[in-house]
Amino acid sequence: MESILPCGSGLLPDAALQPIPEVGMPAPDFSLPGVGKRPIRLRDFRGHPVILAFAPPGWDPGSAEQMAVLNQAAAGLLPDSVRLVGIAMDGPWCSLAVEGEDALRFPLLRDFDPAGGVAHRYGVYGKRAVIVIDGEGILRWKAVMANGILPRPELVADALRAIAPAGEGILAMNRRQFLLCALAASVVLHLWPDSAHAETPAGAPAAPAPKPLPPQARHVTLKVNGAEHALALDTRVTLLDALREHIGLTGTKKGCDQGSCGACTVLADGRRIKSCLTLAAMEEGKAIVTIEGLAQGERLHPMQAAFIKHDAFQCGYCTPGQIMAAVALVREGHAGSEEEIREWMSGNLCRCGAYPNIVTAIREAAAEAKT
Amino acid sequence: MSPFAYLRPASLDEAIAAGGDGQARFVAGGTNLLDLMKIDVEQPAAIIDINRLPLAAIEATPAGLRIGALARMSDVAIHPAIARDYPVVAQALLASASPQLRNMASIGGNLMQRTRCTYFRDTACACNKRQPGSGCSAIPGENRRHAVLGVSSACIAVHPSDLAVALVALDASLRLRSREGERSVPLDAFYRLPGTTPQQENVLRPGELIVAVDLPASAAARRSRYLKIRDRASFEFALVSAAVGLEIADGTIRDARLALGGVGTKPWRARQAESGLVGKMAGDEAFTAAADAALQGAQPQGQNRYKIDLAKRTLARALGEAAGGAET
Repeated sequence: MESILPCGSGLLPDAALQPIPEVGMPAPDFSLPGVGKRPIRLRDFRGHPVILAFAPPGWDPGSAEQMAVLNQAAAGLLPDSVRLVGIAMDGPWCSLAVEGEDALRFPLLRDFDPAGGVAHRYGVYGKRAVIVIDGEGILRWKAVMANGILPRPELVADALRAIAPAGEGILAMNRRQFLLCALAASVVLHLWPDSAHAETPAGAPAAPAPKPLPPQARHVTLKVNGAEHALALDTRVTLLDALREHIGLTGTKKGCDQGSCGACTVLADGRRIKSCLTLAAMEEGKAIVTIEGLAQGERLHPMQAAFIKHDAFQCGYCTPGQIMAAVALVREGHAGSEEEIREWMSGNLCRCGAYPNIVTAIREAAAEAKT
Repeated sequence: MSPFAYLRPASLDEAIAAGGDGQARFVAGGTNLLDLMKIDVEQPAAIIDINRLPLAAIEATPAGLRIGALARMSDVAIHPAIARDYPVVAQALLASASPQLRNMASIGGNLMQRTRCTYFRDTACACNKRQPGSGCSAIPGENRRHAVLGVSSACIAVHPSDLAVALVALDASLRLRSREGERSVPLDAFYRLPGTTPQQENVLRPGELIVAVDLPASAAARRSRYLKIRDRASFEFALVSAAVGLEIADGTIRDARLALGGVGTKPWRARQAESGLVGKMAGDEAFTAAADAALQGAQPQGQNRYKIDLAKRTLARALGEAAGGAET
């Protein structure tokens, strides 16, 4: 009986030490929350090649504005007679519409959190990555890139070779394999659309990195919103990932994961911090407060109430971080003027541009706190 | 992020012992190190969490102040003695990063932060600092934000710290602890120019730890000012910055401290410009001449020539503001 690893699960110490599957090895099974109640398992797709895309949340290869990029990337790889006219997602199935042909359907599993359990198991934790698994369940291709890295053309050639039958050239592939591979390459390029056309500067390639250690596990007890949580965590787990993936408090958001956006702001011993730039182990012993810990039962914290009253958000993704930062700002005594609030909220970005209403909400909540 | 062992020593001696071979990194705030580990620029085999060590005190000394390496940026910025006697330090800190990051980041870590050069941070690009001998992508590349002073044909990356610029201006020195004991190094001499070895950014020995910053008191420190120019008003690194301190008696400059940020491969002390100011009447004429002297020998690249004029104006304006009487 194979063990199935649920997506986003906590990694037990022994699971963390299982070997990471390499190309040519069987791909470990896992389950994802499916549409409706039934989870999607990798083994359900046996017989079909499967693409796993470890991408930022919300990435949609079928969306209109991304088709152009995908088509451009695919155009260089497809024979002139084959033209890709559309990509549509239907649950886990990706459908490629090809001019003058029946649509080609294959599974594309894409809702992986780069910090989740499946990413751990496949050795791509915290990375953007694309993995191709063939119809027999064997891992055939793995492209891994850290954020901000330029894609290299060799990756595409590697992918072609991975899917080509043994001992035969790339041209021996059938069209289905070729299309699949082209899509995989397009997906990879698409994951870094801004840099896909950038030139890789000249210079000697980096020396191969020394062989990495196996993942290290550690017992960590976190005190969050008054409750203690005993966890067994990979040492690499940030406070943010511990909160979201292991404790299940998903109110704290992951935006940039590099300290720039403020969506992950929480309080540690009363001070506002960015939970993406500290390890869970470093915060052991501190009293952590997240957005879930602000309200008293059904009674909202005055800052939460003020944000609602003044419509201080649109999409709401940055809001938990904005509110946590604002609560700290008032305690620090930096709500003296609109200018001061803007300066002391500069660590929190809002792409919807709700700033005027955020400032108004903070001024009102601060004034209430004084009375 | 590559796997690593996490160590949490209970004492300074234990920490020093654990840091011995140079394969490990000390971590305090983690705001720069973890960021670099996520993009594989840093891949330490172990990290040594020193946050529980008693190194966060800010104490008066006969010569001035001693700031523990683990004091947080936000706490140092609002310390009454810093705000009163070393305003350039408080201003540099408050112009840095964001409130959340200032709550996390330590003074020692701030001084150890790595450059923001985008090629350094991109492991697909050549970079002599990250991968010695691979070449510099910035010299023929996008270099609007890069250095014009202290550059070499191997590296033009800017040192990113605001705090370091203020501390270099005030003759601060570092207490460094290793298995061999403790030593003191002036901060200006702590940082190295890139030359042909840009990967060696400072004189820290393998396993050595910054334990404190010694900040000497002076009249120039009391009349000091930090002016930072950037692409946006807040939460941004400097295009150009100036840390200045003046001692003025009867309108005549007795002592001057000038350092520039955003333009140098290390925090840039302008000693020649300082000596040119001493004995002169405080005023625009002297300040403009000092600014010209400070940028002598600047070597611009394709896109950063503007920094030379911008740095001169920033320095002259900061001097004017410091001389203006308000000791803020």
